[in-house]
Amino acid sequence: MELLSILGCVANAGLVLALAPLGEGVLRKVTARLQSRQGPPLLQPYFDLLKLLGKEDIESGETPHVQRGAGYLALATVLTVACLLPLGFRTPLTGAGDVILLVYLITLAGICTLLAGWGAGSTYALLGSSREMMTMMALEPLFAVSLVAGAVQTGSCQVDRVLDGSVYGAGGIPWSGLILLATMALAFPAFVQRLPFDVAEAETEIMEGALIEYSGPKLALFKYAQMVKLLVYSALFVALFVPWGSGWAFPFGWLVFWGKVLAMVLLVTAVAASHARYRIDQALRHFARLLVLAVGALVLACYGL
Amino acid sequence: MTSLLSKIREVMVGWNAGRVTLPYPAAPAPPPPRFRGRPIFDATKCIGCAGCANNCPAREILVYDVCQEIRILKYLGRRCTYCGRCADVCPEGAITMSGEFENATPAIGDIEQRLELFMSTCQRCGRCFTEPSPLEQLKLKGYRFDDLEHDRWVFRSQGYLENSPVVDDLTIELD
Amino acid sequence: MVARDLLNRLKEMLGPALLRVDTPADDRIFIHVERDAIRAVCRHVFRDLGARYVISIGADDRPFSGQYLVAHDFAFDAAHLLGSVVTHVPEGDPRLDSITPDVPAANWAERELRDLVGIEPVGHVEPKRLILPDGWPEGAHPLRKDVAWNFVPEGYDPERAFKFGEPPPGCTVVPFGPFHPTLDEPAHFRLYVEGEVVRGCEYRGFMVHRGIEKLAESVLSYNDIPMAAERICGICGCVHNVAYAQAVEEAAVLRAPPRAEYIRTIMLEIERLHSHLLWVGLACHILGFDTLFMQSFRIREPVMWIAEKISGNRKTYALCLIGGVRWDLTLELIAELRRVLDTLEAEWRAVIKAVLGDKNVQQRARGVGVADRSLVQELSLIGPVARAAGVPLDCRRDHPYAAYDRVEFEVVTHEGGDVWARIVVRMKEVLQSIEIIRQCLDKMEPGPIQLAITDELPVGRYGLSSVEAPRGESHHFVITGENHRPRRWRVRAPTYQNLQAVPAMIKDQQLADMTITLGSIDPCFSCTDRFEIVDLATSTTRVWSAEELARLARAGRR
Repeated sequence: MELLSILGCVANAGLVLALAPLGEGVLRKVTARLQSRQGPPLLQPYFDLLKLLGKEDIESGETPHVQRGAGYLALATVLTVACLLPLGFRTPLTGAGDVILLVYLITLAGICTLLAGWGAGSTYALLGSSREMMTMMALEPLFAVSLVAGAVQTGSCQVDRVLDGSVYGAGGIPWSGLILLATMALAFPAFVQRLPFDVAEAETEIMEGALIEYSGPKLALFKYAQMVKLLVYSALFVALFVPWGSGWAFPFGWLVFWGKVLAMVLLVTAVAASHARYRIDQALRHFARLLVLAVGALVLACYGL
Repeated sequence: MTSLLSKIREVMVGWNAGRVTLPYPAAPAPPPPRFRGRPIFDATKCIGCAGCANNCPAREILVYDVCQEIRILKYLGRRCTYCGRCADVCPEGAITMSGEFENATPAIGDIEQRLELFMSTCQRCGRCFTEPSPLEQLKLKGYRFDDLEHDRWVFRSQGYLENSPVVDDLTIELD
Repeated sequence: MVARDLLNRLKEMLGPALLRVDTPADDRIFIHVERDAIRAVCRHVFRDLGARYVISIGADDRPFSGQYLVAHDFAFDAAHLLGSVVTHVPEGDPRLDSITPDVPAANWAERELRDLVGIEPVGHVEPKRLILPDGWPEGAHPLRKDVAWNFVPEGYDPERAFKFGEPPPGCTVVPFGPFHPTLDEPAHFRLYVEGEVVRGCEYRGFMVHRGIEKLAESVLSYNDIPMAAERICGICGCVHNVAYAQAVEEAAVLRAPPRAEYIRTIMLEIERLHSHLLWVGLACHILGFDTLFMQSFRIREPVMWIAEKISGNRKTYALCLIGGVRWDLTLELIAELRRVLDTLEAEWRAVIKAVLGDKNVQQRARGVGVADRSLVQELSLIGPVARAAGVPLDCRRDHPYAAYDRVEFEVVTHEGGDVWARIVVRMKEVLQSIEIIRQCLDKMEPGPIQLAITDELPVGRYGLSSVEAPRGESHHFVITGENHRPRRWRVRAPTYQNLQAVPAMIKDQQLADMTITLGSIDPCFSCTDRFEIVDLATSTTRVWSAEELARLARAGRR
């Protein structure tokens, strides 16, 4: 069992690493089509990462070892999350952790961006970090609430039980599940740092925010982490809210799962291409409203609705 | 709801337009007929009046008289603004504003055009240049000694040379 | 009031302090006053009579009258009157009462007098350097006639830095510029920020000086200057080209033929189209809405193509000479222009409809960067910034030039004075421009396009010209001179005036709104900074030394 788990982890991580740049490529290509232009080739993000890895590792922030560490940690965290997810087959690390661990890991991924900004230490980086911090404080609870609601419905904290459309509960009209679906969908672009909620790294306002002092291999790590985040969060959303069909026999279940993830990526793209960026205070107000709704849904879940 | 409708409208504006980017430079993109590209100087038509040199706002056309018979006209093109004034005022139509706009080069000499003109028995009085108006009077008549070695126009911001065929009190002011 | 009425009122008020008044036409007036009366006259004109301040000009008139010349230009828009209060300042005592305490809008113009001509505005509220770099030695005033156009100063001090004021208590300093992704040109806004709220701002600019005015006085000639004027701005070049030609034509009492006037109008409106379409795209880009940015540029591209077909270049049309225009519109080009306008109108109406209902964009733009009526009047703001505050200023209607007196159009205004109002005003002005071009094409008669000029231009005459650029009023002041070049040519681009309002607009706003606020005045720093003297090959590279630049860009590192 141990060996299978390890192989499963490696397979998950490898799959996610291989497909993440493709997800980004799809996003860029579709955005370009909506903007009436050609756009980069689908495989461009792979080349971008290779190019960045080949550059000189310049130390331009205040504490370069913190910057480097943040980069490693970011990628490691999201890969660990990938190991905990059912990416078209059963979760490899069933016994090793539960949903609480999942919430912590996702928070840790956000903290890496904060560390990146603090490690850099320049004005715009600190601004980016402070925005990221405020965003995180509003977003992470939202996600945690969804997982907890799932846990409440299934009565267990096990990852494979919760991440199986558990929010919808047993019978009747799953009110709490539908409300949580709506709130998570409305906040989803923020989790993957895309428009209209990419305040923390607004290019035209604060020049990349926390990542302003990053270049070369360190930047490659963060970019990779961001790309993996897109896939991992989409997978999480699909597993939690749209699980139907993923349980079919391999390879059909696997294909259906990844088809749904692709649909999520396309949805994120459509929203990102058609919206302007919200200001931090507007974004926070939006998340606060969603949080209130989500907590309401949690209460309903506790009553079995 | 109106916002959602607006967003859909905005996306449809883009979707309906399709892809509009041209494959240039993979495919050529020729400019329209009136395009003011690199001016081409035709030595067979040029009479050496230096009307173009006098009316170039960027002072990029230099004239130098080697001796009584030979006048050198040199178009430098470094600061050329492609305005076309030289082509407008040339009495012989020796300058054409071509359609060439891909003029980038690492060697500045590539843009230069140098004309060596045999001037016959010319007094360089400037009468061959038909000035379109008093505002285009030849500022420097007579012999011209622009600094060809350093590619610099000789400035005389105080006045004109009138009626003197040979200039020997010229103060050379370098830019 | 017409020029005559103003003359009579001033005669009553001033008596002997009024030296001379020239009224070359019903819509122009030049009031020459004693030096000591300048402040009182200006206060009367701007405060009591409610004129709009345009610009102040300093000129070295010593070779001609033995004195310096200072002029304060003003406008009575409702009465279609442009004028100037002129005074002379003796060589031995180059000082003058500052009018800035009464007319806050004159702040920069008087600092410019101080820097470039060396006339001290006594009593100015903020007598700091504006144009000249900080290390420039004292006493070397570039616009003086005894300073050569290629003068390189001795004793340049690279260590001397600009003295910024103290930040308000509790604020950190966030530098905005000279390099920033949204700014196309370098400018430095020193923002004082408390958390995410901007509490104050100080501006240090004029980094893109090129010495155009000095060149025009020294080495260019009348028909060369339009090419230089066109390059003052990267978007509204045609405006400066036309405004300069018109100012000289006014001074020399020449009038371009009617067909030339129509062609000038058409090209000016084509320029307005491309500028506004570009701006809407840019504003969306600043807000993060790249799709609409791309679509605006896509819709704009046929305008650039038709401009290239007509004039030979996408942007630098090289349109005017003194007395006319250089090229004509053929029937094929006119037909093609009509087709382009039809497509443009259809597509742009679709975009306007979509954007007007877009709550997402409105949330970022409403209530942001507000310049209300009182600020507009106080600082004499112009263009879409003024029209968005409900003040219907438009030179095309107030001081008609070219063929604008023969076409009908609406002056688009909006209420609110915020960024959203400016977006709406500019979007709707595109439709007005299309209408104007169509009317010109219908009304244009065949005829000559260039006046036959038979004599040399008279010397020492004044000419004023106000042209409505996409950003506001572009005002040129010319004194004709010897050797086929002007004695003095002053360019006042609209951004020069509108930039002075930015600190007030961003006060107590969010930091995130800084870029869109600045972008909403449609800043054109190249237009603003048209002055500079130093030989670029040597001194200027030393001005912004690497440490200086690095310090500015990374300020905040303790």
